Amino acid sequence: MGGYGDIEMIDENGLRMDGRTATDVRPITIETGVVPVADGSCRMTWGTNDVIVAVYGPMEAHPRKIQRQDRAVLDVRYNMAPFSTTDRIRPGFNRRSREISKVTSDALESVVLLEMYPRSKIRVEIEVICAEAGTRCVGLTAASVALAHAGIPMSDLVVSVASGKINDIVVCDLNKEEDNYGEADLPMGILPNSGEIVFLQMDGDLSQEEFQTAWDYNVAAAYEVHKIMIEALKNGGVN
Amino acid sequence: MAIPLVSKLLRAHLLELASKDERLDGRGRWEGRETNLEIDILPRAEGSAKVTMGDTIVYAGVKFQLMKPYPDRPNEGGLMCGAEVRPVAGRNWEPGPPSAESIELGRVVDRGIRESGCIDVKSLCIIPGEKAWQVILDLFAISDDGNLFDAFALAGIAALKTATLPCERFEVGQDQKLELSSLPIMCSYHKVGNRFVYDANYKEELGGDERIHITLGEDDHVHSLQKGLKGIFSAEEFVEIMEKAKDTSKELRKLVNSVVGE
Repeated sequence: MGGYGDIEMIDENGLRMDGRTATDVRPITIETGVVPVADGSCRMTWGTNDVIVAVYGPMEAHPRKIQRQDRAVLDVRYNMAPFSTTDRIRPGFNRRSREISKVTSDALESVVLLEMYPRSKIRVEIEVICAEAGTRCVGLTAASVALAHAGIPMSDLVVSVASGKINDIVVCDLNKEEDNYGEADLPMGILPNSGEIVFLQMDGDLSQEEFQTAWDYNVAAAYEVHKIMIEALKNGGVN
Repeated sequence: MAIPLVSKLLRAHLLELASKDERLDGRGRWEGRETNLEIDILPRAEGSAKVTMGDTIVYAGVKFQLMKPYPDRPNEGGLMCGAEVRPVAGRNWEPGPPSAESIELGRVVDRGIRESGCIDVKSLCIIPGEKAWQVILDLFAISDDGNLFDAFALAGIAALKTATLPCERFEVGQDQKLELSSLPIMCSYHKVGNRFVYDANYKEELGGDERIHITLGEDDHVHSLQKGLKGIFSAEEFVEIMEKAKDTSKELRKLVNSVVGE
C-alpha cells in the first residue's frame, strides 16, 4: 500500500484509469488442459495476470509419515516465475509465497472431498507466469478450475476476488497502478453455490461502511467470474 | 527428480521397435516433433518466448539488471542463465532446491549461448569498472514430455533475440535492442533401443540410455557438447549424429529467423 496517491485514479464520471467502473473486473480468459502431462490443468488470464495451474493425483503419498489414514493430503504450491514481475524474482520459496501457498491450501481443503482418497496425495502447482495485481486470487480461482478439470470431487468451485480502496473510493479488482497507490485490499474466496467464504484476508484501512461495500462488490463479482469458469469447464477449451 | 522404475517391458519394446527402425509415436529416427515458437508473450519480461515440442512446453524470459563489472573484466557485462523445472512440469519433478538434472539443463544451455559469443559482453558495459548490464535468461518448464534441453535452448535464444534493454527504466539512455551476432542451436540425441534418435519423448528417455547434446552456431561451429547419463557410444555413432545435427540446426535456425525476423 503506497498511502494516499497524488495521482487521480478516478475521473469525475466515476471511471477508472482503464475505463472500468467501480464494480467492473478486468477481462478474464480460462483455458483448460494446457499442461498435457498433468491430470488436470488450466491457464487463467485476468487483466495481464497469467497463471498456469497443474494438478497431479490422487497419487501415492510419500514419505509415509505425511499420509493421513482417513483422507488425502493436499500439497499446494504457489510460485512466481523469475520473469513474472518488473524486477526479477530470485527463484525459490520466500515467506510471501509460503504464506499464499498455505492460505490457498486451507481454502481448497475446505471444498475438496479429501476423505474419498485416504492415504493419497493431490498436488496442486500454481505458477504465476506474468503478474499484475491480485495473483493470489487468480491462483486460487484457477486452482479450483484445474482440480475440477482433473475430475477431483469437490463440494463447490472457489471464486476469489479482491476489492480495495483508491482515492477514498471502494473499487473492485485493483489493477497494477491502482494496487501501487491503493489504500486497502480485501481478497476473498467465495463458494458461488452457497455464498459461503473459504478465504479471507485484508490489509489497509477501511471504515465499516467501506468494508461492507468491498465485501458486496466481491460477492457480486464472484458470480460473474463463476459463469466464465463454468463455461470453460463445459467447453473444455478456450473461453 | 524422482527416479522412476523402468519396466523391462518398455525397454524390450523399444529394442524391438528399433530393430524394425520404428519409434513409439511413429516418427522417423531423425524426425522431430511438431515444434511451435511464439515470442513476446510475457509483458513483464524484456524478452520472452514459448516453445512447444509435442507435449513438451517451456517458457523463456529475459530480465536485465545493472551490475558492477567484475574487477578482472571491467569492460564487460554479464550473462546468467538459469533453468528451473518445477513440479508443475511433471509428476516426477519434486519441489525443493534445484535438482542436479535442472542445474545440468541450465548450464548446458548457458554454455551453448555464452561460448557462441552471440552476445557481445563488451557492448553491455555502460561505465567501465562501475556500471554494466547483466542479462538474465530464465528458462521455465511447464510440461515435460522429454527433450527439455532442446526446448530450453530454442526458447532461450529466441527470447534473447527479442529482448530490449530497458535503459529508460534504469535511467541510462534510450531503450535499445539486445544485439545477437549469431544463433546457437542445440540438437539432442538419445540412445533408445541401442541406436541414437533425435528429440526423444519422455517414454523414450525413460527406457533409453545415454544422451548427447550438440550446440552448433553459424557455419556449423561447435559451441557446446555434453554427454549425459550412463552409456557407451562409438566414434562412428558420434560422426553420424553430428552430421544430422548440422541439418537439424539449420532448420531450427530458419524457424527462429522466420518467427523473430533476422
